[in-house]
Amino acid sequence: MKWFRGRSPVDVVGIGLVLAVAVFSLVLLVAPSIIVVIISFDTRAYVTFPPAGFTLRWYKAVFEHGELVEAMLNSLQVGLTVTVLCIVLGVPTALACVRGRFRGTTALSVFVLVPHMVPGIVLGVAVLFAGALVGVSPSIWLQSISITVFILAVMVRTVQSRLMRLDPALEEAAANLRATPFQSLRTVTFPLLMPAILAGAVFTFVEGFDNLSVAIFTHGFRDRPLPVELLALVQYTSSPIVAAVSGVQIVLAIAALVIVSMSIGLDKVNE
Amino acid sequence: MMHGPAGPSNTVETTAPVLGIGAVGKRFGATRVLQDFTLDVAEGEIVTLLGPSGCGKTTLLRCVAGFWEADGGTIEIDGQDIVDVPVNRRPVGVVFQSYALFPHLTVARNVGYALRMRNKPRAEVAQRVASVLETVSLTGFENRYPSQLSGGQQQRVAIARVLVMEPRVLLLDEPFNALDAKLRGAMQVELRQLIKRLGLTSIFVTHDQEEALTMSDRIAVMSGGKIEQVASPDEIFDRPATAYVADFIGVSNFLETEVETGHVRLPDGQTVMTDLTGGVKVMTRPHNLRLGPPEAGPWKGTVSFHRNVGPLIEYHVEASDGNVIRVSAMRQERDCPVKDRSQVSLSVIDPASCSVYPG
Repeated sequence: MKWFRGRSPVDVVGIGLVLAVAVFSLVLLVAPSIIVVIISFDTRAYVTFPPAGFTLRWYKAVFEHGELVEAMLNSLQVGLTVTVLCIVLGVPTALACVRGRFRGTTALSVFVLVPHMVPGIVLGVAVLFAGALVGVSPSIWLQSISITVFILAVMVRTVQSRLMRLDPALEEAAANLRATPFQSLRTVTFPLLMPAILAGAVFTFVEGFDNLSVAIFTHGFRDRPLPVELLALVQYTSSPIVAAVSGVQIVLAIAALVIVSMSIGLDKVNE
Repeated sequence: MMHGPAGPSNTVETTAPVLGIGAVGKRFGATRVLQDFTLDVAEGEIVTLLGPSGCGKTTLLRCVAGFWEADGGTIEIDGQDIVDVPVNRRPVGVVFQSYALFPHLTVARNVGYALRMRNKPRAEVAQRVASVLETVSLTGFENRYPSQLSGGQQQRVAIARVLVMEPRVLLLDEPFNALDAKLRGAMQVELRQLIKRLGLTSIFVTHDQEEALTMSDRIAVMSGGKIEQVASPDEIFDRPATAYVADFIGVSNFLETEVETGHVRLPDGQTVMTDLTGGVKVMTRPHNLRLGPPEAGPWKGTVSFHRNVGPLIEYHVEASDGNVIRVSAMRQERDCPVKDRSQVSLSVIDPASCSVYPG
């Protein structure tokens, strides 16, 4: 091969090793998803590999399965609530941490991070017990709030890092050019933070939709979110319907990525 | 106080300053960044604050703009104290070192920003933006984004964006730093001519003496939060008030000596009058010195280095006392072909152009 020429044997071995590890890791990451998708089209009513035939009946079954549809809608609601709460609480927090001129900006920044460092299960149990003490029982709202506390740090950190790289002179220029503090936020700071806010929104929505560790202790008795419903499902059945639900989620994830990349560009989210 | 209409004016008849800064102080923790700073700027005048980083020049500019609050003193524009006026209502325009153009807005929207913030009607915004863009020769660039412009064009957008609000005072914070050396010279001339044509009262901040000499009507040389000297570029260069100013502007040779009843004796035998007594430093510029053959005078030295600086030749002469003296001469005016290591004598061309400072 051409690229062998002019390279030392050590380089060739090194590059080969790196490539091998990279390919192996990718396969490890992607293969399960592909297998799940393949299984979801299987004609047999139990999980096997390779599949015996092709059918869409499991996808049909998912949408005819009342509890699953309801769980999906619940998770959707939690995801959206968490996203909205994270934007409403996280963006001002990030602004305060970076631009604030008061004592304790660092403390605030660390304080927001702490719930994210605690294992989700611990946080979930803590909320459940604390709720019981003050008479708040698990519900879709308690679940949304708990996951918001858990994931808020991601929104704050994403917006914070973008804000720290914004030239502070931009906001000074806005003020000098007659903008009131509110006008400056609306016309300069927010538009420039938008990629970070959208990136944070994607992360927090996915967490709200997908979180199991916190949700399992805090969800409402009648409002089971999708991860909890799926857990229950795999405990009692082994039909490819679970794989089909995963298939739906994978499609949604890809759709989200496509929407983000078309609206603001993935490179900007990455910033 | 009464004032004529804001904007271009060719008559300089009012004696009241447009910008009056009185005894402004500013400290950060234990560090005094500005001490008792006082300066008046007249209508249409460009005053440069020149000094090394940390001398307080940017701090003063930020206090005038309102980004920082001065600890004490007064800042008046047209006789009105603006210390309590919020940033967005001060009649000043700032051109930032980084330009701070809004990257998400086109040139036209950047330039029209200040007018939109004041809810001016659309037609008026469009008309004033077009006219300002014409002033800075950027017509046709309306729909470009800042990232699509060259450094020089970005600078002109930054200026246009400020001009559109017709500020009483223009504040320029090292606006040439982001440009490459060649463009810098051209933009300095262009910007000075533009500001003079519009008759804008301006404060210009820089650490670059050449920029200061090009741009200014007056230069305020600053050190440690205080003004060392305020004067015209010629006076600052020819008659620096302190050794610090002499050292900061241009190349200087300092000779340490003693006063002998009303005058000091230069090493070449000539004398300079002075009122000082005791130990002093005599400063002379490289172009006020002449090299001669070694037998021509009592001040002898050895050329340790020379280089061609365009039309000039710059010599480093190591005098017998160990001092390195810098001498410059027009290239075609060389009296003697001088090489490194050759023996020479030094003489002062015009003793009256030497400055004497307390030692």
